[in-house]
Formats: sequence, C-alpha cells, structure tokens
Amino acid sequence: MSCPSLLRHNALVYESDEEYVDGSVAFLREGLEAGEACAVGQTRDGISRMREALGDDADRVAFFDVSSVYTRPAHAVAQYYGTFLTLLREAPSVRAVAEGQFGFTAADVREWTTYESITNVAYSHLPVWVVCTYDARRVPDALIDAMWETHSHVHADEWRTSEHFEDPRDLVSRLTPAPEPLPGLRSLPVVRDVDSFRESLARELGRENLTADVAMNVLVACTEIAANAFRHGGGIEEVRVGQVDARFVCEVVDRGSGFDDPLAGYLAPREGVGAGLWVARQLSWRLDAFQSPAGFSVRIWF
Amino acid sequence: MLQRDKSISAKHERELVVATDRGDQAACRELVERFLPAIGGLARSFDFGGPVGRSELLQEGVAGLLFAAKRYDPATGTPFWAYASFWVRKSMQELVADVARPVALSDHAARGLAQVKAARRSHLQTQGAEPTRSELAEATGYSLGQVDSLLASDRVPRSFEDPVAAGEAAATFGETVADPRAEGEYEQVLDRMETQAVRSLADQLGARERAVLESHYGLGRSPRTLKEIGSDFGISAERVRQIEKEALDKLRLAAAEPPLPRTRPLESKRETLTTHRSQ
Repeated sequence: MSCPSLLRHNALVYESDEEYVDGSVAFLREGLEAGEACAVGQTRDGISRMREALGDDADRVAFFDVSSVYTRPAHAVAQYYGTFLTLLREAPSVRAVAEGQFGFTAADVREWTTYESITNVAYSHLPVWVVCTYDARRVPDALIDAMWETHSHVHADEWRTSEHFEDPRDLVSRLTPAPEPLPGLRSLPVVRDVDSFRESLARELGRENLTADVAMNVLVACTEIAANAFRHGGGIEEVRVGQVDARFVCEVVDRGSGFDDPLAGYLAPREGVGAGLWVARQLSWRLDAFQSPAGFSVRIWF
Repeated sequence: MLQRDKSISAKHERELVVATDRGDQAACRELVERFLPAIGGLARSFDFGGPVGRSELLQEGVAGLLFAAKRYDPATGTPFWAYASFWVRKSMQELVADVARPVALSDHAARGLAQVKAARRSHLQTQGAEPTRSELAEATGYSLGQVDSLLASDRVPRSFEDPVAAGEAAATFGETVADPRAEGEYEQVLDRMETQAVRSLADQLGARERAVLESHYGLGRSPRTLKEIGSDFGISAERVRQIEKEALDKLRLAAAEPPLPRTRPLESKRETLTTHRSQ
C-alpha cells in the first residue's frame, strides 16, 4: 500500500518574463513567510531576474543553475533529490520553482515528459512543493500538452486541476520505447557468481577504449545488475557485450520473471527501496529492462 | 551552414561525442575544434555591436555544444550538429538576454545607490575632488564591494563601437577584445569548463584501494592475481581480497549518494561584464 504523497508537483505556464517573475516571487514569498526553505532552479539570466525581483529576500533563497542538470532523466532526478534533502535539513518543508531544459526533438519530448512524470513518485515522500515553469514562447507545444499529463495542477491564467493527469507508472510504460534487438553483441562465457562475472567483464573492458575511471563505473554498475540476477533472477542465463553507436553496452539475461516497474532505479535508495538499480542508472548513460525470448534482460549503456 | 571539416565520418563524430560525454579531455578538445567554425557562424548572427562580445558568445557556444554531447542520442537519427546547434544558440541567447536586460534595482539597492550618489556630491562640494571608493564606503557605511556593485549598476554600458581614445582614427572598444582562437584562449576555456560528465567514483578511493582494483581487473594495465598484487604490497592474497571488497563497497555507497546541489549564489555574468567594460 502506498503512502499519501507529501509532494505537490504543479506547473506554471507563462508567456512573458513579468508573468514568470510575478508568479514565482509570490509563490516563494508565501513560503518564506511560512518558514519554508525556498529554491529557484533556473538558467543564469533567469536567476538574475529572480534575484532582482526578490530584492532583499533573495538572500534567503537558494539559487541553482539548471544549465547542466537536465542531461539524463536519472541524473536530473538525483540532482533535485540531493537539493531537496539539503534544504530539508534547514526547514520542515521546501518550496521550489524549477525551469526545465527540455529540448526540441520528438525524442526529447518523450524523454522529458517521462522525467516529469517520474518526479511525482521520486519525491513523493518529501514535504516539497515544486512548481515547474514552462515558457510558452520557447517550449514545444507537444511538451506543453504533455505537461497536463504530468502535473496534477497547472497555472495557465489561473490554477486548474488537470483532468489529463496520468498515473506515472502507466505514462512511463506507455512512453518507454521497446528496446531494439542488438544482434551485434557478443556472448561471454556463463559464470556462476558475481566475482566471476566481474572478472569476465573486466577482460572485455580491456578491449574497449575506456579510461580507468569509466571502466570502474562500468564494473560497479554491471555488478549491481549481475547481483540482482543472482539474488532475484535465479542466476545469469547469458551476458552479452559490445559497442553500439560508439557506446559500450552490457546485457545481462537472467532466469527469473524479472520486474515490471518502469520506475525501477529512479527512486533513491532508502528504507524499502534498494540501491542496486539506482546505482546502475546513476553510473550509466541509459538502462533498459525488458522481457526477451532469452529471458528477463537488463541492458545498460555507457 | 556547417563549415567543419567534411572528412570527419559519422562514426568518428559519434565516437567523439560519446568520449566527450565520458569526460575524455582530448576528445572534448577535438570535438570543440571541429565545430568551432560552426559555432562562430551562429555567433555572427548576434550583433557584436551589442552588449556581448564575440569571445563571450563563443564560450557560451562551446558550453552549449558540450551540453548537447551529454544528451545526444544518435539512435534518433538526428545529425549531431542539427541537435547541438539548438543548444549552442540557446546558450548564446541566454547570455545576451542576461547581459542586455536593463538593470532593475530593488528598492533597497535603489536607496543605497542614492546614498552613494549623495555622499559623492557632498564630497565634491566640500573637498573639490572626486571621492575614493574607501571614502564613499566610509561615508555610507557600505563595504567596498557594495559600493562597487552599486556604482556598476549605475554605469551606462559601454558600446563596442565607442572609441578607446579621442580622434576618428582611434580603435573601437570592440576591436580591442581579444580573439580567443588567435590567442589559444580555448585551451583555458576548456580547462575551466566542467567537462567531466561521468561521476568519478575513483576519487573516493585511497591510493592502495585504487591500485588493487586497477591491478586485479586490468584497468589501464595488465590484470594480475590477488596473490601477485599481495606480494607487491607485502600482504596476503586474502588481505588484498578484503581491500578490494572494501573499495567496491565504497564505490557503491558513493554512487548511491545523490549529488550535492550547487546552490551557491551565482555571480551574474552581466555584473562581471559590466564591471569589466567599465574599467
């Protein structure tokens, strides 16, 4: 049984800088008066605007530059999670306004809509009220439309309850593309324990053009996948590795039924939430989990 | 229009992008050098007579390119530059928006500026000379830094077309701005920029822990047995195994920890540029 969410995850659509500043400043000042920790995630010019508009109150608000946050959904989830945990050490609850950096391609729209949906669950145990801000002048229409599916309440002229809000797990399942078969990967000898898996994988990494630091990340991340296969999947059926689009890929197939939670690995480790898939996602470029004719497969890209 | 070296293959381009994403400095430099002409082309669409110089625009463009490298997925079928140019242009636009935006002082700052101006007038009347920064700070009770910020906010931004000296033949201010390519400034730009996208877990390890992992798994060197590593360090193979386990646990813990936020107050580029130009 899931606990009621402490998180309020809303959206504000604006069409002018004044609209953005007025809405955000009013929201944050209300939080400051209530003794909440307040934060602004913005690009540099947005931060300048907000600092000026907040005046003396700016000293009581944490500002962080989002220009390098939105690289991959798992990394963005972790960045905000770390920010909220830090702010919650100083106050009982947090208010934040956050401007996304979402891109323009169809793949961007799909990926970052997924991200917005994941955040409804990723921070649901935290007393945080975050308002995601969308600049209607620049954000693609498709993302504005999708925003109604990922935020329970949206401010567009006035606050409205979204009638299109979709259960995050349903949305993420719907938008996650089915992984393509990768016939070019090569199989490694079958191993019987995690240590043997790591040694076998390390031999393959020697053929790749990876720095020692990156190779270490690969070993740690893939060890987590292998450990899960031995612990929950009845052992490893097959390990396949190789290069696809210049990235090193490792696929671990186990003998179990696998898991069907599309949010696996996006929720930070805590009581009741394991660390394995989170660690793997944090250290990789992408992670796919799917059923294949060979068995339950986890494919991890670096 | 993309003016980069056309001999670069799509495969090599992907390799460069991925290696840049992984924090490979050499690949990062090559990627930037390949796309610098294209970045320069985009920069030309901005008016250099405006408040932002070519050098700053190029720096922002490079930042946009590196951000694009972290997100780019060749499986989408979009060519890299078609994808990256969006982020390059966006970075430049944000810089221009930040620098060109008129300063709107808070009520508190406006009162402060009025106090500083009043102190200057009073000093001029009584002493017949311009006050120093220290004298203004003493008269108003503000710190030197506060006085500087308030005065900077009151300066008219200097046009790049302004002459640096009297006379028609004098160079314009814009012409004195250095060309980063000519002076190799890009080496410094890249050194300053955070290009390490991959979390470097190995920083968590002590020298011996790192050496054990690298030796056992042949990371950047030939793999060795626990016994061989043990004899190097004068310890048993079992002790080496324990050190390795501790090191792996440490790496796992570090990866599980959410990254610390960068919430330190950010200095506005606009303030930096305004101060620079007013000197």
